[in-house]
Amino acid sequence: MKRWLLIATTAALAFPTAAFARGKFDPTTEFEQHEWISIHIGGLNLSITKAVVYLMIGTVLTILMGLGLMRWKVTSDKDVGRRQSFGEQIYEIAQVQVAEQGLPTKAIGRWFPYVATLMLFIFVVNLIGFIPLPLTGEKWHGVPTWGIYAATSSLSVTLALALLTFVFTHFEGIRWNGPRRYFKSWIPEAPRALLFLIVPLEILGQFMRLISLSVRLFANMLAGHILILTFIGLMFILESLALIPVVVFASAFYIFEVAIVVGIQAFIFAALSAIYIGSAIEPEH
Amino acid sequence: MAVIQLLAATTGDVTKAGKAIGLALGVGLGALGAGVGIGNIFGSMIQSVARQPELRGELQGIQWLGFALTEAVVFYGLLGSILAFVLV
Repeated sequence: MKRWLLIATTAALAFPTAAFARGKFDPTTEFEQHEWISIHIGGLNLSITKAVVYLMIGTVLTILMGLGLMRWKVTSDKDVGRRQSFGEQIYEIAQVQVAEQGLPTKAIGRWFPYVATLMLFIFVVNLIGFIPLPLTGEKWHGVPTWGIYAATSSLSVTLALALLTFVFTHFEGIRWNGPRRYFKSWIPEAPRALLFLIVPLEILGQFMRLISLSVRLFANMLAGHILILTFIGLMFILESLALIPVVVFASAFYIFEVAIVVGIQAFIFAALSAIYIGSAIEPEH
Repeated sequence: MAVIQLLAATTGDVTKAGKAIGLALGVGLGALGAGVGIGNIFGSMIQSVARQPELRGELQGIQWLGFALTEAVVFYGLLGSILAFVLV
């Protein structure tokens, strides 16, 4: 396996003309969305683009991961060691670190599946964003070119996920407390004269949660991809092989992204969702 | 003084230059603040683990939460700068 990788790398480096063939390199083309299969229903644009394909792959992989790690019957002792302990580790993070931190005990049974799904799904979608796949939509002499792209580096995807949490938060708040008590809990204890200043801020804060939740994930993935691409692309922009050492920084940053950012962002999104839903179910006052 | 003369003598696309400076300043200042914040978080983490090593597991969750919340500040700056760069 290692030897094949080495041979492939040397082959790629031995023919830089192939790499230079694209001419002008522009990292922003990675984030363009082209309609591969056009679906228009009324005013709705449901076309299948690169992001949609990545989301579909992510969904299938998440389901397979869940089935493989937690549902598949354990047959041999060796299996128990690897697969089961990995599955249990993920479950424990979702249970102890995410759900029990934010959700009150009475709501864990209902909202643990949502929070855990969110964490697994974002983790998988982030992770396949760093694996080169032949899905760039471009062709070089008839062969699809390989590239990295994360569906979560599109604001539409993260905003949709954040909207789910936003809707569930207020739905649960009203369901458990009734609309009167729930909206009353938004009004903090403060001198009456200051309320007209504080209440609009509180209401604005509810919408700021939506923005911060979606933009955090989106901008993290976008910035990570832009940085990796520009580091690698510097060779092609300035058209000089003397810049090959820059690849070291690119790969260091790549490892940082894959090892830390991917997991952290998935964890944060799920944890904050749990905290928001939990704080709506049990308002402080 | 030399800088002012240089600025006055600029003949190229000044708008583009301004946008580029704005983008760089926005990201740079955002990174400055987040750098201080992240340093603070990990510094406090080291101190608290040194004082009470048995709390490490509990603290780690809070640490990563704080890390991600602070780190996101850079990206708000980045996003604002990119908006300014693209829209203005």
